[in-house]
Amino acid sequence: MAIIEVNNLTKEYQLGHLTSLKETCLNGLRRLTFQPVQERERFKALDNVNFHIEEGEVVGIIGHNGAGKSTLLKHLANISKPTKGHIIVRGSVAPLIEVGAGVNPELTGRENIFLNAAILGIPKKIIKQKLDEIIEFSELEEFIDTPVKRYSSGMQVKLGFSIATSMEADILIVDEVLAVGDLAFQRKCFDKMEDLIKRQGKTVLLVSHNIRQIQRLCHRVILMNQGKLEINGMPQSVCDIFYEQSDEKIATNMSGNKKIGISTSGEVNLENIFFTNAAGGRINYLQFNEDCAINFEINVKHEITDITAGFGFHTTDFLYLTTHNSEQQLSIPVLPTGKHILTCNINKLPILPGVYSIRFGITAGKSASTALYGENLKHLQILGKIPITIRDGFFALEASWSHAKIDTFSHEK
Amino acid sequence: MSEIIKNFFKYRELIAALAWKNIVIRYKQAYLGILWAVLKPLMLLMMFVLVKSFVGIQTDGFPYPLLTFAALMPWVFFQESVSEGVNSVTSNAALIKKIYFPREVFPLTAMVTKLVELIVSFFILAIMMIYYKVIPTVHLLWLPLLVLYSMIVALTISFFGAAMNVYYRDIGQAVPIALSLMMYASPVIYPLSLVQKKLLIEQSSGVWSEKLYTLYTINPLVGIIDGFQHALIKGIEPDLATLYPGLIITLITLPFSYWFFKRAENWFADVI
Repeated sequence: MAIIEVNNLTKEYQLGHLTSLKETCLNGLRRLTFQPVQERERFKALDNVNFHIEEGEVVGIIGHNGAGKSTLLKHLANISKPTKGHIIVRGSVAPLIEVGAGVNPELTGRENIFLNAAILGIPKKIIKQKLDEIIEFSELEEFIDTPVKRYSSGMQVKLGFSIATSMEADILIVDEVLAVGDLAFQRKCFDKMEDLIKRQGKTVLLVSHNIRQIQRLCHRVILMNQGKLEINGMPQSVCDIFYEQSDEKIATNMSGNKKIGISTSGEVNLENIFFTNAAGGRINYLQFNEDCAINFEINVKHEITDITAGFGFHTTDFLYLTTHNSEQQLSIPVLPTGKHILTCNINKLPILPGVYSIRFGITAGKSASTALYGENLKHLQILGKIPITIRDGFFALEASWSHAKIDTFSHEK
Repeated sequence: MSEIIKNFFKYRELIAALAWKNIVIRYKQAYLGILWAVLKPLMLLMMFVLVKSFVGIQTDGFPYPLLTFAALMPWVFFQESVSEGVNSVTSNAALIKKIYFPREVFPLTAMVTKLVELIVSFFILAIMMIYYKVIPTVHLLWLPLLVLYSMIVALTISFFGAAMNVYYRDIGQAVPIALSLMMYASPVIYPLSLVQKKLLIEQSSGVWSEKLYTLYTINPLVGIIDGFQHALIKGIEPDLATLYPGLIITLITLPFSYWFFKRAENWFADVI
């Protein structure tokens, strides 16, 4: 039986219901005389959402801002009530929706541990046993009897996270909490989450904008879009679709002003980027493990000298995968005005299938000053079949395995 | 009603922790600490004693400061519980948006916080009683019941007010005004015997006198304050005739108030 069942969940909000205190006071007199008008414009934060989660599953929820992710979590944590439909949760829920909601700045760290434990419903007896463990995890031994208002913001989240994860519940609901503290502490939180998931077999719902984290932790990913459940499936495929959507969104955001993303000295403009295959024909998609070429069409407005061109692949979240530049391969002492094409030929494209983007730059002159540079210039999809020897990552690694038995006896001699 | 008690018991650790937090943070950076809690009734007492010195008020031979303090204790407890209670939900908006537990925890916590302060003022009263050499009698045992009754009254108003305040913050503004008016409708500054003398003995409003008196006693605080004075200072049992009109009204209203609160609770996180 599913541990969480969401059936036809719909949530509507009335727009314009939340008025400021000032407005409330101004409207006070009107309110006293007649009922507030019910016929306000309605906004569907969640629109007929259906899904089941089995015990022990780790499910990621992704989507753009305002897609309804947090609203969904609020319903699962029983904070908000659905307008239509119903939710069945079979088990106790630990809502780590924004860590440190109950942390009071006036109290000391230790006092806050007890207060938050009470808020999260952890019995006092249990929290007393766990106190040392929590303090140790938070790395705040020295400051535990100092009021939290004197803490740095990082220390506050550390405290909050340490308390929240000490709660023992069947279902953990996590909203963007893994991005806390410094890198070392983030690592620790991540490990703690993995421990909860893998070793203790908890059911976890995770909302994050860090798609890599989601891909790594989750068994299943739900993509929300404008209150609707768009896709419910394997992490890899759902995340790829989400990346594409994000790209489109970025593209539409940028369409108003083409210059965004490209900085140029004015001497040269990038006109077009296109791909060609080994035969020289134009292609829309690149094929994994096949030869191809990337062509940059540029328009030189003022003569430039000693140019070096470089390009690179990056993921849509700007993880630079690889670059290549023309130094020592291409020598152009003078580039006259007019249109030119710079081509970079790639042998056996080693990047695994997925959605990527391209950055490109040209430096000119003896001082190698930037004549043109831009990122996210063109999105491309790499197609192909991932070889069975590679499960995930970005690159095909050429390697082979062998085996030999160590003869312990001969070692001793 | 039984659900209130059930939840009160179930969430007692949470209520205790929140009440403790309220008290600690209020007095943490104050030299006088929790003494501020008793300073309010004490200041009011001094004012009243001052007024009494040039306005003659009958006290039936009991020390006026003692009688007034016995009246101020339940009054201040009630007044503060209600004003805290009504604002308790809105002032915990951050928690309400982040985590679920029955929302009546907030008004209950407000009341428990004030209960602690009431207990502190009992010590002040004890000192005063020693000074005036007033010895309590067995009727002191009525006190827990009277305190419970005032808690119920405060809760009845808090539940309704707190829920309304989430939707219309006007309530939070109106409550202090209503409460300060209510003080004059309660025998705090003047003794109940004065009202009884005017209405019941002198029949100053003619045929309406008895009805007016019943109307007056519908205010639960009339019975409570009179009861406190009886049980603590006068050493006699509380006057049931003064108590029951208010008690009946309260017990009828409480379920509605609670029902209203529980219905409104579903939308707190969306509206607040």
